[in-house]
Amino acid sequence: MTAMSLGTNTAISLRGIKLQHDKFTLGPLHCEIPRGMVTAIVGPNGSGKSTLFRAILGLEPLQSGEIEVLGSKIDFGEDDSYKARIGFLAENPHAHENSFTADEKAQFASHWYPGWDWERYRKLLRHFDVDGSVKLSKLSKGMRRKVELAITLAHDPELLLLDEPSSGLDPFAWKTMLEELQRYLEPGDRTLILATHILEEIRRLADYILFLNRGKILGLYEKDRLLDDWRTIVVQQHEAKGFGNEALQRTPGLQGLAEAGPGVYRLEVNEPEQGEAYCRSNGFQVLAVQRMELEDILSCLIRKEEAKR
Amino acid sequence: MWLPIRIDEQRPEPLYHQIEVQLRGLILGGQLAEGTLLPSIRELAVSLKCSAITVRRVYQDLENEGLIRTRQGTGTFVAGVELVAKDEHRLERAAEELERAVDEALRLQCTPEELKTIFERIIRGKTEEHKGEIR
Repeated sequence: MTAMSLGTNTAISLRGIKLQHDKFTLGPLHCEIPRGMVTAIVGPNGSGKSTLFRAILGLEPLQSGEIEVLGSKIDFGEDDSYKARIGFLAENPHAHENSFTADEKAQFASHWYPGWDWERYRKLLRHFDVDGSVKLSKLSKGMRRKVELAITLAHDPELLLLDEPSSGLDPFAWKTMLEELQRYLEPGDRTLILATHILEEIRRLADYILFLNRGKILGLYEKDRLLDDWRTIVVQQHEAKGFGNEALQRTPGLQGLAEAGPGVYRLEVNEPEQGEAYCRSNGFQVLAVQRMELEDILSCLIRKEEAKR
Repeated sequence: MWLPIRIDEQRPEPLYHQIEVQLRGLILGGQLAEGTLLPSIRELAVSLKCSAITVRRVYQDLENEGLIRTRQGTGTFVAGVELVAKDEHRLERAAEELERAVDEALRLQCTPEELKTIFERIIRGKTEEHKGEIR
């Protein structure tokens, strides 16, 4: 992935951006989000996911730094033609749109986006099984979500930003959404960035994971590398050697260590082979080696970050 | 198109390696015939719950080995595989399976002579069972 830093392969560059709300600071953030890929933004509530989306859309004044989206620098109010190439689904529906029907909102969107395609819009509504002539305020949360998704996708944007897209969707609609997103990504040059708490969405869709915590980036990782590298190792100390875990503190790639029983330790490592070999050569018996779940990797990263504070 | 590839979360091998070995096996084993259209990179990534980067790497490796080829705009296809390569693969796979069985027998403290006797008895029995199936 050496080409990642080249301009053409980057969808969004965050260059030291920083912004502040009452009690919340986002940044400084440095990050290049790759083009043609799916990046999942993952982090606890209040970590700054939605604020980051708003910043990318030029809706948040920056204190410092700059953002480049699809090759254009955001210059706040000057030239926002780049926005026509973006599809954005906000976390919550807009109350001022309550009295519109889906078709009326689509009518409005069709003027704004040169790439708008009515046929695609109607196909999406049909696939999501929603009626476009009903007022948005009369739709259930999930139904309204489906309408918003259809409108967001109908102009086949180069860059798609989805903030908690599946909130309110039933499992069937959720499956339809995954199918539509897969179809959207099929040409291979589309970029999807989604903020989500749904791990299954990350497993199925994401190529990269951006971990965010308290307005700071904990890391941008290639998903499969993360899952390949992070493992839990459970070891047992031979009784004759007495108890103590000093030696384990020096395990290569150690990220977390806990006692799981008398003489039994649970290690979290990101250099599994070296870690395992080290434990064996220091007189520990390896009872189990397992891949870690994403949420456990994130907790581990957060724990390390919090320890620095 | 669905491919019978299974990722074993507990295996130490990296994901791309697991997928590559199995896909190569399906081609060399003849389950995927020449000209078969393979899933797109994104399609396979979603169905295996891995990243598109991993699938792209697998397709690139297999294309370098001459097992698949990509036609611009139409997709990725299984290439013609020489009979020699298929035969080699067949023998390799059989040898791997036998090795596993021999390991197990050695763990049970069998001597080589005992093993040879068992092996010949099994071959005789199986040849009877599978008459007509064996070339």
